[in-house]
Amino acid sequence: MKAKSAFLQIVFLVAIMTFMALPALAQLPPEIPREDTLIVDQIFRYSTPDNYNIWTTAGTEATRHAFGWDTLWYIDQQTGEWINAVAAERPIYNEDFTEMTVKMRDGLYWSDGVELTSEDLVTTINILKANPGMRWSSELALYVEDVTAVDDYTVKFTLTRPNPRFHYYFTVRWNGVYVMPAHIWKDVENPLEYTFNPPVSLGAYVLRETDPAGYWEIWELREDWERTTTGVIAGKPGPKYILTIFHGPNEKKVMAMSNHELDILMDLDYEAFQALINRNRRARSWYKDFPWAWTDEADTRVFAINQEKFPLNLKDVRWALALALDIVEIQTEYVGGVTRVTPIPQPASVFHMEHYHKQYVPWLKELKLDLGSGEFFVPFDETIPFKIADWAREQGYDIPEDEEAIINMFGVGWWKHAPDVATKLLEINGFTRDSSGNWLLPDGTPWKISIIAAPDEADAYRLAMGAMDQWEDFGIAVEIETLERNPFYTREHMGDYDISSTWGMAGGGNANFVRDKWPFMHNFHTQFYAPIGQASLQNHMRIRSEKLDEIIDKLSNLPPEHPDVPALEEEFFKHWVENMFGIHTVSFKKFITFDETYWTNFPASENPHAQPNYWFMGGKFMYPYLEKSGR
Amino acid sequence: MSLFKRYILPRIIQWIVVIFVGTTVVFLVPRLSPMDPVQTTLSSMSSLGMANPEAIRQMEEVLMDLYGLRGTLLQQYLRFWSYLLKGDLGPSLVMFPAPVISVIGTAMPWTIGLMLVSTILAWLLGIALGTLTGYFADKTWAKILDAVIMCIYPIPNYIMALMLLFLFAYTFPLFPFSGAAGIGIKPGFNRVFIGSVLKHGFLPALSMILITTGWRFISQRALVTNVIGSDHVQYAELAALPRRKIMLNYVFRDTLLPQTTDLALSLGSIFGGALITEFVFSYPGLGQILYTAILQGDFNVIVGVSIFSIVGIATAALLIDLLYPLLDPRVRYH
Repeated sequence: MKAKSAFLQIVFLVAIMTFMALPALAQLPPEIPREDTLIVDQIFRYSTPDNYNIWTTAGTEATRHAFGWDTLWYIDQQTGEWINAVAAERPIYNEDFTEMTVKMRDGLYWSDGVELTSEDLVTTINILKANPGMRWSSELALYVEDVTAVDDYTVKFTLTRPNPRFHYYFTVRWNGVYVMPAHIWKDVENPLEYTFNPPVSLGAYVLRETDPAGYWEIWELREDWERTTTGVIAGKPGPKYILTIFHGPNEKKVMAMSNHELDILMDLDYEAFQALINRNRRARSWYKDFPWAWTDEADTRVFAINQEKFPLNLKDVRWALALALDIVEIQTEYVGGVTRVTPIPQPASVFHMEHYHKQYVPWLKELKLDLGSGEFFVPFDETIPFKIADWAREQGYDIPEDEEAIINMFGVGWWKHAPDVATKLLEINGFTRDSSGNWLLPDGTPWKISIIAAPDEADAYRLAMGAMDQWEDFGIAVEIETLERNPFYTREHMGDYDISSTWGMAGGGNANFVRDKWPFMHNFHTQFYAPIGQASLQNHMRIRSEKLDEIIDKLSNLPPEHPDVPALEEEFFKHWVENMFGIHTVSFKKFITFDETYWTNFPASENPHAQPNYWFMGGKFMYPYLEKSGR
Repeated sequence: MSLFKRYILPRIIQWIVVIFVGTTVVFLVPRLSPMDPVQTTLSSMSSLGMANPEAIRQMEEVLMDLYGLRGTLLQQYLRFWSYLLKGDLGPSLVMFPAPVISVIGTAMPWTIGLMLVSTILAWLLGIALGTLTGYFADKTWAKILDAVIMCIYPIPNYIMALMLLFLFAYTFPLFPFSGAAGIGIKPGFNRVFIGSVLKHGFLPALSMILITTGWRFISQRALVTNVIGSDHVQYAELAALPRRKIMLNYVFRDTLLPQTTDLALSLGSIFGGALITEFVFSYPGLGQILYTAILQGDFNVIVGVSIFSIVGIATAALLIDLLYPLLDPRVRYH
């Protein structure tokens, strides 16, 4: 009996040891050295990993489109720099903007050795136009009357109507019309169903291997990387291999980066980020120390107000809501103090701070609210950044004394916390308080507000919590409706909300918004208005303003570089702020975090050589500059 | 009346009705919810730069056609059944035009592998431990075991999974963080791939076994405690039969019927996936697919996964119903 037991124990131990010795633990295949590989946080699992037709919604573009695809132009989100990629120079329009000519670079090659020519671009446009349901298909069909190859490297677009911004479709913030290899696609019978697998690459990398379950991919640097746009522009190769991997929840990303199994990740919540930098001394985000996070993604957080809902359709009420908020408390207690406040509907990124926020401070300071009876109130508070700085010092963070540095860190200012003024604004509109101090509508019924918010967008949700707490303290009954993304978007589009704690208000995916506010502004034209119950994708706040229409119409007919554009933009923002159509609070921030154990020279505040948001298509310009640490 | 007409036929009819009603409900629920896949796709496209209202309207029309969302609810419903009866679940709306059946087919083997193994192991473990601690309730080891399992049982799945990851993937890096197989390992019937699958599946399976064993353990211990007090067990003990024989032949056998029913229903429900476990371990199962589909309003995938789940549970219940007369003479008699 004892012998039998001992035998079983030995068998068990051997089985366990064999099991543990299996090579599953090694994250990378043996032929791929860790020191040659950049491991990147794949921002989600690819649902159809074997489909590389990213001209349809079936093919996933995030992260991977920076490796194998390319288009004509880019705008660097960090610097605002215009980058000629597949195009050799900026677009050339005729006088009335009905023709656009593109000069393409020569010497660019597909990964299968075929040279990129104008035929590729022409074929791309014709295929997209002819196949409804593909990305850009409806817009190209709408605008492009004809596209022709003038020679091997010149393409001429003839447009159906004047459009000084037609090149935006080929200019990357998130993506741009990806150029197709004509020699592959011209014979495809059904482009909507074609999977383009294996993909022929126009980027510096070529697909080496993909997980059928969609959790990882390995891309390998092309031997002829010098014949791609990043090779031409940067003149450097970048890591030999890039492994993208989806780890799932933040806790796992923290563990993976703590174990040096992840070199760069997209974002963490504040608490997870703190846990990570406490465990891995080589991990950091944009700033080495407080406020750590990258705050230059071109987007803002906003309490979008449905202008069709009474009493939110009243300007005074919207201003009362803004003045009942204490932005210092919201920015510090709810968001950790790590981003900039913004009083205008534009992100307070480095670029925007210089070109917009700081330029607008004089009129922000002059802005007055009419409280009736000849009484006026100046709502702008330029001391806000210094109050946030004081809070940060109390937390023990090292904050510079220089005023300009503090403004650059926390923004130019915001609206005063003035509940007394908010009270006056409500009272002149017939609002009263009950015996408990709660606000009643002019008809005597309790005033209730609902905020819709999606919890997976952590900052938006936290800001909603902050607003709820503060508005309740002010005497308004507030509830938060927690919605998943799909019902959240649907409710927004149908106008089925009072206030939405939202984002995406800076101009969508279009690259040129960094120098041209038309992509943001035109969304609020009355042509996009729809009554509650009918979908309005752009103008879900249901703004109807003749003044805004007038400005947008003028801008629509001007090219982005026209000297009249800045003044019109300023006029738009003034009108927006005076009417407080939406309460913009803070800039987007992301804890894009990198571990410098294996790779260094990531873009950072002291070395902002490229945008760090690698999952955008423009992230491709970061990779060539990474250097091996030698560890 | 023959056994078929009296017993089997009504149950088969019931099985068909359950599947029909269940499928109808899962068809209707997402369509009556505030989700709109066309708006979601348009929202995604417009946030990426699509601007012209005319173009948006055109794209909306195209997507309505492509997604098969034209017509009244009744027309959509009839169309849905006409395709379903041909085995066509339609295309995924979010991953259009990928067929739903292929999306499910990719995840199904992983879900079945993980959940079949963990369900059966948890069942065996729970039954064995529950029987032992129930029958030998006064022993010290039984009390300790009872206390340990009662401590583990209430731990939420998510916390248990993270604890295992923290211990065995981070602190003692014995197992991988993510996935179902090692990166770069080609699928096939070879030692490396099978070993990698086992190693990747170990922690997910362990987390599910630890949690579900607790429930089985409690239910089995309660059943055993009941059976111990019954006349035939008392009689066997008075007759001085060996305790091991009493436990296995008189106590354990009596508890097997309800536990078998429970096992069958649990096995039937594996087609719904194990969302939390799959999410934490990045395991490519059906739960993840269903979750993503719900978030993105992918009606066809929601319906597809749910149909597998409905058919699985209904079929398990049917099989149990049909097998009961063979297992329990009292059912046959009634």
